Amino acid sequence: MRFRAKIVDLACLNHFSRIINTIAKLAKTCILRLTVCKLYFILSDKVANGGASMWCELSQGNFFDEFQMEGVAAEHNEIYLELVPENLSRALKTSQSAKAVKMKLTNKHSPCLRVAVELPSLSSSSRIVTHDIPVGVIPRRMWNDFREPSVPDFDVSIYLPVLKTMKSVVERMKNLSNFIVIEANLSGEMNLKIETDLVSVTTHFKDLGNPPWASEDGCQSSAQGRDLESMTEACIDIKKLQQLLAGQQVNPTKALCNIVHKRIVHFILLHEEVSLQYFIPAIS
Amino acid sequence: ILQCFLSLAVFGRAIHAIARISDEFWFDPVEKGLALRSVNSSRSAYACVFFSSMFFQHYCWTAASQPCQQEQQLPLPCKLIIKSVLPVFRCANVLERNVEKCSISTNPSDHHVTFQLLCRHGVVKTYNLTFQECDPLQAVFAKHMCPNILRVHSRLLADVMIHFPTSQEEITLSVTPMKVCFKSYTEEDTDFSRTMLTEIQLSPEEFDYFQVGVDSEVTFCLKELRGLLAFSEATSVPVSIHFDRCGKPIAFSIEDLLLEASFILATLCEAEKEAFHSLFFGAVSHKEKEAIGDTFQSLVTASDTEEEFGALQSSPVL
Repeated sequence: MRFRAKIVDLACLNHFSRIINTIAKLAKTCILRLTVCKLYFILSDKVANGGASMWCELSQGNFFDEFQMEGVAAEHNEIYLELVPENLSRALKTSQSAKAVKMKLTNKHSPCLRVAVELPSLSSSSRIVTHDIPVGVIPRRMWNDFREPSVPDFDVSIYLPVLKTMKSVVERMKNLSNFIVIEANLSGEMNLKIETDLVSVTTHFKDLGNPPWASEDGCQSSAQGRDLESMTEACIDIKKLQQLLAGQQVNPTKALCNIVHKRIVHFILLHEEVSLQYFIPAIS
Repeated sequence: ILQCFLSLAVFGRAIHAIARISDEFWFDPVEKGLALRSVNSSRSAYACVFFSSMFFQHYCWTAASQPCQQEQQLPLPCKLIIKSVLPVFRCANVLERNVEKCSISTNPSDHHVTFQLLCRHGVVKTYNLTFQECDPLQAVFAKHMCPNILRVHSRLLADVMIHFPTSQEEITLSVTPMKVCFKSYTEEDTDFSRTMLTEIQLSPEEFDYFQVGVDSEVTFCLKELRGLLAFSEATSVPVSIHFDRCGKPIAFSIEDLLLEASFILATLCEAEKEAFHSLFFGAVSHKEKEAIGDTFQSLVTASDTEEEFGALQSSPVL
């Protein structure tokens, strides 16, 4: 099992750092899956995470100048590592002026992802900062736990409002309540609601638009027979929603959510080179 | 009795730096200037900032009032609680803009040190702080006998330390004549599967002065040093690092015409595992000094300010 990669382009490095920062806000520990073409950051829906799960996918070619990977075996040419994304975020934090960043899987005292940042210095030789990030190697028999989640059979799919606005609304609501209700309909309307003994607050968004989903078996088209005005709702942990919104450092190209009535909210945030899916289960 | 006027930003930063070591500090005005000293509870870190009288716009120090037969003649330094002083110098940047003058005066008869800030628009803020009389504090450290001396601009040290998390307690400095390396401290029972380790390698060329007489690896407490780093960035005076093999103290100091600051930290010695060597200071009463005598000598070769040491030696013993 081998992994070596290098980023030389500063813009790619900064973009990669931002993605890691977003992941770090969503998960304390997550799985990094490496394949020949892609990197995946995966959080599976264990009870420890409050049932939330995450799937983030990026093409290595868009970020790395060099990327060499040899999986556990020829027919299973992949590597699954468990790590703390905050560590990776910290390692990359001070690399804004780096000449190059190299990553390597090593096993000195225990398996580690070694991140070596080459920084400019006053002398002829560069300054090298090395961070050894401990990782856990996930054995192949457990890989099935980390498969890509399927898009749920949703009742409503709707584009999100401008994330910055949504974030400031949710942050204020977080001070008042631990839970938030997201409801939306097929007419592009979304409401964010909180209710406590003392106060209830609702923020209304209109004209958001509903993304068209191509359906092979026509099951989604049954929505056309439904009342476009009727609201589908789910009550979720407000902190999870706030973390998702707070972690977005750049505006996504597309941001939408799929709601299964009283079951789950599935967020999809698409950027040019990376896609992020985040599932927050409803509180019963 | 002391009366002086001064520029705030640097003085305030010195107080903040000392605050990293301990909650209280020694306020020790002498004829040549004002010394602030502090030691932490485990006696493994000592800080001394000495402002020469030239640092102040006006500095006037007079010996204590007429001694009568029963009283000691020594102008004993006094101890102040840092928490009561910090608010005076809280936001150094804001202070610079709003405060026109700051004066410090002492009146030993009523056990007060008075800080008075003359601010804009005629506002005058007066802080009267009680002090405790106490025994003198002084660490002795033979800087000139250290085989390893590095001097570097504080900016470089700050750039190095930024790679370590703020929670990082201990750091190991490893030097050979060919390279310098700062790394997270690890010991035999460090859990490598859980700990993220950071290491920064620098070439000797990056230092203004580089002398390595003996290859060494010294581990010291980073938290206590951060105070000095912040202070030296404010003064933009280069930082000198004097050290020896592990177990012996390491000194970080800055020095220019107006002030001298030294932070002396104990270093970890592998043979003794957990405990930092406690630096042995001259912080004893005169009676005890008589009894201990020789133990001091093992650490004594020179002090950070020659005159003061001289004064200490020549003080009468009761």
